Amino acid sequence: MCGIIGYSGQRNALPILLDGLKRLEYRGYDSAGVAIVGSGLQVAKDKGFIANLEGQLPAMQGTTGLAHTRWATHGAPSKVNAHPHTDCTGKIALAHNGIIENFASLREKLESEGHVFKTETDTESLVHLIESFYRGDLEDAVRKALHEVRGSYAIAVVHADEPEKVVGARNESPLVIGLAPDENFLASDVAGLLKYTDKVLYVMDKEMVVLTPERAVIKDLEGNVIHREPERITWTLEDAEKGGFEHFMIKEIHETPKAIHETLLGRLANLEVNGFLAENFTSVKLVACGTSYHAALVGKYIFEEIAHIPASAELASEYRYTQGAAERPLVILISQSGETADTLGATREAKRRGCKTLGICNVIGSSLSREADKTIYTRAGVEIGVAATKTFVAQLIVLYLIALRMGLDRGTLGYEEADRLKDELRSLPRAVLAVLNKEAEIQSLAATYGTDARDAYYLGRHVNYPVAMEGALKLKEISYIHAEAYAAGELKHGPLALITKDTPVIAIAVDDPTYEKMRSNIGEVNARGARILGVGTDGDKELPKFVDDLITVPRMSWIFSPVPVSVALMLFAYHVARLRGCSIDKPRNLAKSVTVE
Amino acid sequence: MKAVILAAGEGARMGPFTASVPKVMIPVGNRPIVEYAVRALVESGVRDILMMIGYRRERIQSYFQDGKAFGARITYVAEPKQLGTAHTVRQAKPSLDDRFLVLNGSSLIDRQFVGDLLDHADAPAVLIKESDRPQEYGVVTLRGRNVVGITERPREVLSNLINTGAYVLDPSIFDLIDRQAEEGHHDLPSVLSEWAKTTAITAVESNGTWVDARYPWDLLRLNETALQTIQDVRAGTIEKGVTIHGRVTVGEGCVIRSGAYLQGPLSLGPGCEIGANAVLLPSTSLGKNVRIGPLTTIVNSILMDDANVGPSSVVADSVLGSGVVARAGLLAASGPADVSIEGEYHAVRQIGALIGEDSELGNGVSVDCGTVVNERARVSSGARLRGTVPAGAVVH
Repeated sequence: MCGIIGYSGQRNALPILLDGLKRLEYRGYDSAGVAIVGSGLQVAKDKGFIANLEGQLPAMQGTTGLAHTRWATHGAPSKVNAHPHTDCTGKIALAHNGIIENFASLREKLESEGHVFKTETDTESLVHLIESFYRGDLEDAVRKALHEVRGSYAIAVVHADEPEKVVGARNESPLVIGLAPDENFLASDVAGLLKYTDKVLYVMDKEMVVLTPERAVIKDLEGNVIHREPERITWTLEDAEKGGFEHFMIKEIHETPKAIHETLLGRLANLEVNGFLAENFTSVKLVACGTSYHAALVGKYIFEEIAHIPASAELASEYRYTQGAAERPLVILISQSGETADTLGATREAKRRGCKTLGICNVIGSSLSREADKTIYTRAGVEIGVAATKTFVAQLIVLYLIALRMGLDRGTLGYEEADRLKDELRSLPRAVLAVLNKEAEIQSLAATYGTDARDAYYLGRHVNYPVAMEGALKLKEISYIHAEAYAAGELKHGPLALITKDTPVIAIAVDDPTYEKMRSNIGEVNARGARILGVGTDGDKELPKFVDDLITVPRMSWIFSPVPVSVALMLFAYHVARLRGCSIDKPRNLAKSVTVE
Repeated sequence: MKAVILAAGEGARMGPFTASVPKVMIPVGNRPIVEYAVRALVESGVRDILMMIGYRRERIQSYFQDGKAFGARITYVAEPKQLGTAHTVRQAKPSLDDRFLVLNGSSLIDRQFVGDLLDHADAPAVLIKESDRPQEYGVVTLRGRNVVGITERPREVLSNLINTGAYVLDPSIFDLIDRQAEEGHHDLPSVLSEWAKTTAITAVESNGTWVDARYPWDLLRLNETALQTIQDVRAGTIEKGVTIHGRVTVGEGCVIRSGAYLQGPLSLGPGCEIGANAVLLPSTSLGKNVRIGPLTTIVNSILMDDANVGPSSVVADSVLGSGVVARAGLLAASGPADVSIEGEYHAVRQIGALIGEDSELGNGVSVDCGTVVNERARVSSGARLRGTVPAGAVVH
């Protein structure tokens, strides 16, 4: 995804835009650019990190402007493909986040009218389209252009002849307005403007905004003014800085106990989760992408074990395009940012099928929280590292809480049993602490296993199979080692052929219903000569005989074991990547949340 | 002016309470001990803080981060091996080019204490205090207002003035620290005694708060002192028929059931659940998500995050670590006891139970005064505990 920032005020726009871009850099970072309206329109852009751009900027004076940080979807990352894009006259500049679906036909039509395209991007068709409608009023031209566009967008547009004005619009991509005396801001994310103001206005789908130093006016695509009350943001930029840790990722891993506490706060005593307490569902479907999908897969076991309700997990990008079954499950949608395009699409699809939708996300006021019928927030705090860590655990915690509530309501869970489960939930912050306290040990294991590895295999069974998948994903994402997870029962159906003495295997064998089976699977791998790192339970005297090295987690009911095990695997992946000198907080080709499909 | 806070030590004498956190992060009055020092510094206008960290350092970094949330600018200096306080301060040399303050992170201090030090910050100084147990500390001998020497735990007590471990130092001390290190002296009192031979070091007696945490029962004194300044806050759900007297902080998301009787000063962290007809008496702190069963009485105790004490229990003058679970009918009454810490016995006037994190006690467990239950012990129903229960032990 990309990040946009816009400014209209009294101050020199350039430093403000660059600062905002840096705050948004986690949204994408293969190229960046700025456009300033001063004496005419000036544009500068380049590929690479924002620091690259900043190093070679000409002096740009002006109090109105926009900037963009990009993650390529159409057209390779390059200087010319970087935003902002300009029209033929060089007077209009536009930054865009999203995808214009009908860009090919628009481009053909515009080219036949004589417009000259400079790039391969979908966005450029939009700027030429605006140019074709421009009759001295930018707002009007943008509105007319948007009527012809299909797709998702958050845009910011400026015109050299209309200084002090930034026009923005949104459809399915996030956009927020920041309000301050004599200056106003536009950004993809509150983080981009929080340094300057905590007073914000959210722009909704199919709405436009006209920004001047004095006011920000929201209108619909017909030009009718929409009145909306500004909201105050209570978190601060401090939340978003590293505090003595080497990377955001490790800082955030260490914040997991706090994230669990916060997510449980006030929800345990009476299990007041914002669910559908009165409804009677016959099944649950969990839908998500990436790491959140792994949380969904664990969720399947959680719902079946605690609430005794049939549950299944599906990738959002698949769910959207498959046929729904006749029954109507409760559809639970999980997304850290609440802006993941496929998950939002799945939400709409679920509603279309007549299902009730429940969102789980970490960002208040996100698109998911507005689209889903109800939302339960994970209270994990800001997560900057691209690899999801504490938010994954917080998602699991919310799933436990919902399952507990459902079990009690359905009468499939007794009060005493619920109390026991609640006690275990309370103990999870310290189970995680116990794992964090083994960081030095895990770091030296990372050196043993990760320094030369080209491939790695993760094995798990039952509730810890998705945890193995998540462990493999973490390793892939940040250390670039090819890693795969297999359900250990599938070993003999293929993957065993790949295992040699040079492929490290990470095997999860905690105290769960498949422990014995898992141990014999480890024996099979052992026979192929692979070096095995086991993840087991404290006090297990048998497992050390089957593995070369061992990380242990505290003993607990198996249904909760994914929490400490996933944290151990996060630490492992982090230290492997660190030892290999990888760009941990900003891995290549990846963005924090994927707002395109 | 910069301040150096010593926060690297493990605190082995704190028994089970430093199993996962360094000593300075043990909560009293629902804040880590070292937070009081950070706040006192910031309130006195000292915002540049060097935090010397070592044992379980991530706990400190995660909590304070870059210090902005506390109005401070905190930088961290990690010390892999703790030889002594002088050795620790030496690690901060690259960041110190002017006169600086040194504070011990494991003492509860207030703004006045820091103010007394700042009033004498134009020359080297040591902050001292009168004590009724000087033989347990470093005793300071004086000539006029100047320090002659500091004697650690003297056999013969010549004065009741003790060293609080708070100093004003200047960078000229670093050479002396290096020379003393060669002779095997790594602690600041030794270095200062040597320095006093050539340099005038002022001894400043402080009227501010200074409560040092060395043993687990000290935590109760720190807690009591900390709770004297808490705010009256009512958040969460307080059911009909709850009685609250005195200053009580009730955190967000708490549920206090009908018939409960709360006598302040008390601090309840967020998400606590207090059962019907429970009684909470001063000076008690409950951490996050603590659960107190119906008909249970808690007196002058610290219950850390996620502790869970079942119905019809009595807990007095006790410290329960994070995640301690006691089923129904725990009896942890208070009285005089000889408590064993690190193999040494200490006569303590008034003490209940000291229970380490994640220990689990069955129904009807009775704990004798001064018993130390180390972390993650499992105790069966009906057991009677005395002495010391080792970590991870299973008691039938």
